[in-house]
Amino acid sequence: MNIIEIKNLSHSFLDGTLGIDGINLSINEGEFIVIGGQNGSGKTTLLKHLNGLLLPTMGAVLIEGVEVSRNIKKARQIVGMVFQNADSQIVGETVYADVAFGPENLCLDRQEIEKRVSTALELVGLTLHADKRPHLLSGGEKRRLSIAGILAMEPKVIVFDEPFSSLDYPGVRQVLEQIISLHQSGHTIIITTHDIEKVIAHANRLLIMQDGKVVRDGMPDKFLQEAEVFGVRAPCATRLGVEVASWLS
Amino acid sequence: MAELTVLSYRCGKSILHKLDVRFKLFFLILISFTVIKAEFTALFFISFVLISVLVYIRFPIISSSKDLRYFFILILLVFFARAFSTPGSALIEWRFIVISKQGVYEGLLVCWRLLLVVLLSLSFVSTTRPSEIKAAVEWFLIPFPFIPRKRIAIMMSLIMRFMPVIYEQVKDTADAQRARGIENRKNPIYRLIKLLIPVIRRTFEGADDLALAMEARCFSENRTDPVLSSSRKDWIVFFVVICLCIVIIKI
Repeated sequence: MNIIEIKNLSHSFLDGTLGIDGINLSINEGEFIVIGGQNGSGKTTLLKHLNGLLLPTMGAVLIEGVEVSRNIKKARQIVGMVFQNADSQIVGETVYADVAFGPENLCLDRQEIEKRVSTALELVGLTLHADKRPHLLSGGEKRRLSIAGILAMEPKVIVFDEPFSSLDYPGVRQVLEQIISLHQSGHTIIITTHDIEKVIAHANRLLIMQDGKVVRDGMPDKFLQEAEVFGVRAPCATRLGVEVASWLS
Repeated sequence: MAELTVLSYRCGKSILHKLDVRFKLFFLILISFTVIKAEFTALFFISFVLISVLVYIRFPIISSSKDLRYFFILILLVFFARAFSTPGSALIEWRFIVISKQGVYEGLLVCWRLLLVVLLSLSFVSTTRPSEIKAAVEWFLIPFPFIPRKRIAIMMSLIMRFMPVIYEQVKDTADAQRARGIENRKNPIYRLIKLLIPVIRRTFEGADDLALAMEARCFSENRTDPVLSSSRKDWIVFFVVICLCIVIIKI
């Protein structure tokens, strides 16, 4: 079943720049999609349409068959978004308060909020940090906290905008492990990155964007070699002609 | 971040940690007003009680005094301002500078009171979660329907969350400018402008990102209310504090 349907989507910014241009896309439940492209190719603009942070200038985005603009709250519940800069996403003054922020916005009762927060913190391994102030966490922990904040809203689709930016190697591995376990638990995963090497071994679909258009869409191994034509660095293994290995192996 | 740790919550199991935050906030306000009215004998008594409380809640008094160094400088300034400006019989006289006995007495009294109010606030902050303080403020604003209490509560929470982030940005920007030789410029206004412009720009950009992130998590003012509950213990402490305040005023 298509959980996300994008029909002829275009978006122009106030200054007239075309952010994305005529995108048509269907995303099935349970897919693991990597969207590659150089800076300014329209990746983040596309993601922001999935939960109504931006509304289309032309075309439509349907989440579970309902147009996003018709029920933005529902779209935001189904599609959780983890932003590039974890610091600007964390709003709570403690780890616990931050994870509770989303469920509180959904007006859930206190018992349900507590249940969701403890489950989310346990899933990302931050239970022991519940009373900590977020600015004292490491980069990887902050990213995991952003994920917990989204998980507490129980979304079906989780969208990651450059999840590995400014993370060290252990941080990348922690976040990658988290993403994979979320996929295994049935979530649909969409990741944008300009460095596809870190995650491509786990993806079952690769989209490459250029100038606001989707220029390639399919199985990753089909066109990894031509990725560099579009300003996306191909994994080292692809250059050497061997299979791309996971960063976790 | 050391400068901010003194103002943070410390986990614990003391009575102060367990009291209802509304009572604690009321006690803080009441005792602060009492301290402002207290004289030397009463101040001795309050200091003894307060230091006992700080030891009981395991507040790191010695290590925190380093974090409070700027406050001590402020207190010193207040003392000198009082000592120099209060008229009375001269204690020290040198050319046109006169320090009066009354001035020293007044200065000591004011500084002592200020110090006690700060210590009182620290004992409150270190035993109360920021989310509880926010909830209490929200509760106290219920009788004022024209004040958007939920908006104020979320603003308080964001201030508490983003103070360290902005502080870090100031430090980063200052370091980056020092690395490019800003110290060679002697004009403090030039240096201040060069520091403030990027910090303010980054803060506003951060605020934009934050607004988007809050929207993505369905933010609205119609949210689940915080849970607050009081017990018999709170009322017993309430009675004790009221008696204490009466005794202090009578001394």
